[in-house]
Amino acid sequence: MSAPRTIDLFAPADAPARSAPQTPVRPVAPREAPRPSASPPGVPLWLGVHVPALAAQSAVGASRILQSLAMRAQRFTPRVSLAPPDGLLLEVRSSLHLFGGVEGLRHAMTGECAQLSQAATLAFAPTPLAALAGARAGRPFEVLDAAQLTGSLAPLSVAALRWPEELIGRLAGLGVRTIGQALRLPRAGFAQRFGAARLADLDRLTGRADDPRERFEAPVRFRRRRELPCESASHALLTAALRPLLDELGRFLAARQCGVLALEYRLWHRHAAPTCCVLRLGTPLADAAQLAQLLDERLRTLALPEPARACELRAGLPVPRVLQSSGLWQPGEQGGLAAASGVELIERLRARLGPEALETLTLVSDHRPESAWRVAQPEVCLASAAGTSHRPSPGAERPAHASGVGADRFAPRPLWLLPRPQLLRQRGGLPCWRGAVCLEGEPERIETGWWDGRDIARDYYNARDMHGRRLWLFREREPPHRWFLQGVYG
Amino acid sequence: MAADLPGHGTVPSSPSHPDPRLERLLAHPALWRAGSAARVPVWPSGFALLDEGLPGGGWPRSGLIEILPARFGQGELQLMLPALAAITSRSEARWCVWVAPPLQPFAPALAAAGMALTRLLIVRAPPHARRAAALWAFEQALDSGACDGVLAWVKDAPARQIRRLQLAAQRGNALGVLFRPRESAREASPAMLRVALEPRRGGVRVTLLKSRGGARGALDLSWEDRERT
Repeated sequence: MSAPRTIDLFAPADAPARSAPQTPVRPVAPREAPRPSASPPGVPLWLGVHVPALAAQSAVGASRILQSLAMRAQRFTPRVSLAPPDGLLLEVRSSLHLFGGVEGLRHAMTGECAQLSQAATLAFAPTPLAALAGARAGRPFEVLDAAQLTGSLAPLSVAALRWPEELIGRLAGLGVRTIGQALRLPRAGFAQRFGAARLADLDRLTGRADDPRERFEAPVRFRRRRELPCESASHALLTAALRPLLDELGRFLAARQCGVLALEYRLWHRHAAPTCCVLRLGTPLADAAQLAQLLDERLRTLALPEPARACELRAGLPVPRVLQSSGLWQPGEQGGLAAASGVELIERLRARLGPEALETLTLVSDHRPESAWRVAQPEVCLASAAGTSHRPSPGAERPAHASGVGADRFAPRPLWLLPRPQLLRQRGGLPCWRGAVCLEGEPERIETGWWDGRDIARDYYNARDMHGRRLWLFREREPPHRWFLQGVYG
Repeated sequence: MAADLPGHGTVPSSPSHPDPRLERLLAHPALWRAGSAARVPVWPSGFALLDEGLPGGGWPRSGLIEILPARFGQGELQLMLPALAAITSRSEARWCVWVAPPLQPFAPALAAAGMALTRLLIVRAPPHARRAAALWAFEQALDSGACDGVLAWVKDAPARQIRRLQLAAQRGNALGVLFRPRESAREASPAMLRVALEPRRGGVRVTLLKSRGGARGALDLSWEDRERT
């Protein structure tokens, strides 16, 4: 079989030397005799899972349980196939070392089944059909070597093959009750009597014929609904009901190495329309605990029209997540990364106060005060802050910013700007703001802006009010010559 | 200027120990002598006169301080600006968060003063629950360990809340600055430092109402004296 050689990172040190070049290593202690390798690494090994309780369930219920079991199984191997109604197949040859061999894998998979409160029997075999048949037989069945497969299958009942009852009856009439007896029948006669399809079944069982299996693909989006144990509006109960859903979401995302950017927690009521609680994130997150904390903040501020009776968690499209390795130094320390842990703070503030509550400022190259800056969302800055340094170049006294119009060239500007210029009353041609103000210094003219329709023509003055505050006023150049307050020096 | 290194309070050289070796021993950073200023890591305030009066020689690096101007806009932000510029323009700077500023911070003026706008994060509190939301966000930011400085404009905060903020600032190793009106000076406060402000022509008069181990009294600062960072 021309299987590609796999590079095994988890091979124990005393494994038979599969890695190609023999480097001259001085032996320190006598080595153990190499264990006979069960099978070359390229030969598949299938883990068959049989969940007997599913046969008694409705088709929809059984398929749902099987799917969630398959999603859990994806943590062991990407090659998971469904064998409805009650079976699951995992190709685990390359996962054996990682999960502690056959025993470790058996233990881990049984644990996954137990978490869904399902009892399952497991079997290992080189062909998928043999793994399923072994699992259905209910006895311990572990065949790692293809050469021993036929012999190990021989004592199993033909019923494990799930052939039609009538066929099994006819075989029993011939005295054929075990798979071994069936395999001993002449091939041509078997095909003539029971059909070529049954012979092909036997060939796939023993590995004479290939048995390609369709790979299980989990749904693209995560969506789970759960009934609450009782109708309730209590925050504690809703959070508790959410937790298992989030854990499942965490596993779903971990299997894909993805994160989510949007999450919706929907609460269903008896009469009222469902309440939606939407969480939007700046960076893809996958950690269930972190998501729980953020949703918790959101739920605190949620007003329910009536008690909820079911909850549903819907996640947005999974987004690939780039994990960063953590540094030796804490963020903010000498040599530490800048704002590495700021993401958590930003998400928490956003979750509680709403997505538009956070902003950062950027400069725009414009001479008009209203247009010289823009509000930006913090994650843009996060991305740019990841690697770059904010230290101004040694020569420059001030950080370089918006090309062309340097803030240096202007007269001093106020630190605070009013949301919009405030019209001032006038007394004797001079502006008033909570009392008389006293103009200081020379006016500065700021005008034009014809290119975007926000043309201005203003004379700016510094002023001081009766409390000693410095203000930034302007007077329109156009006729009514109104006075406005635009800034406070602070 | 070595803005990156935490400054330490200067030990007043006492004439009773002329031995330089003893002097060196007493200048050890782990040693604190009663009567000298408390040794806290600080950010230089940018005003030499003010640094002399502040405990440790600058604004504390971790802890809550209160700035109490008689009215908003009397120079309180101008006073903090040199320190904020030094804090945010370091390469390893963490966030500088402004919680519930009463007006729109004018980005060109901040940039001209040397502040790195990429490190500035503004948190708007929703109008219906402004005070509660602002105090919550203030505490979260101080506690997160992701901020170097957190500035908040909150009118009235109960002393218990201020105690929580002070503890959060120490846990998160952040400088918290609470801007409150002058009337609050009458209430006791667990903040490390309380500073009252009065505007003066071309500067500001700073009165240290409470400073652990620092000087008391009024200092007249002029904007012209500001050291260029």
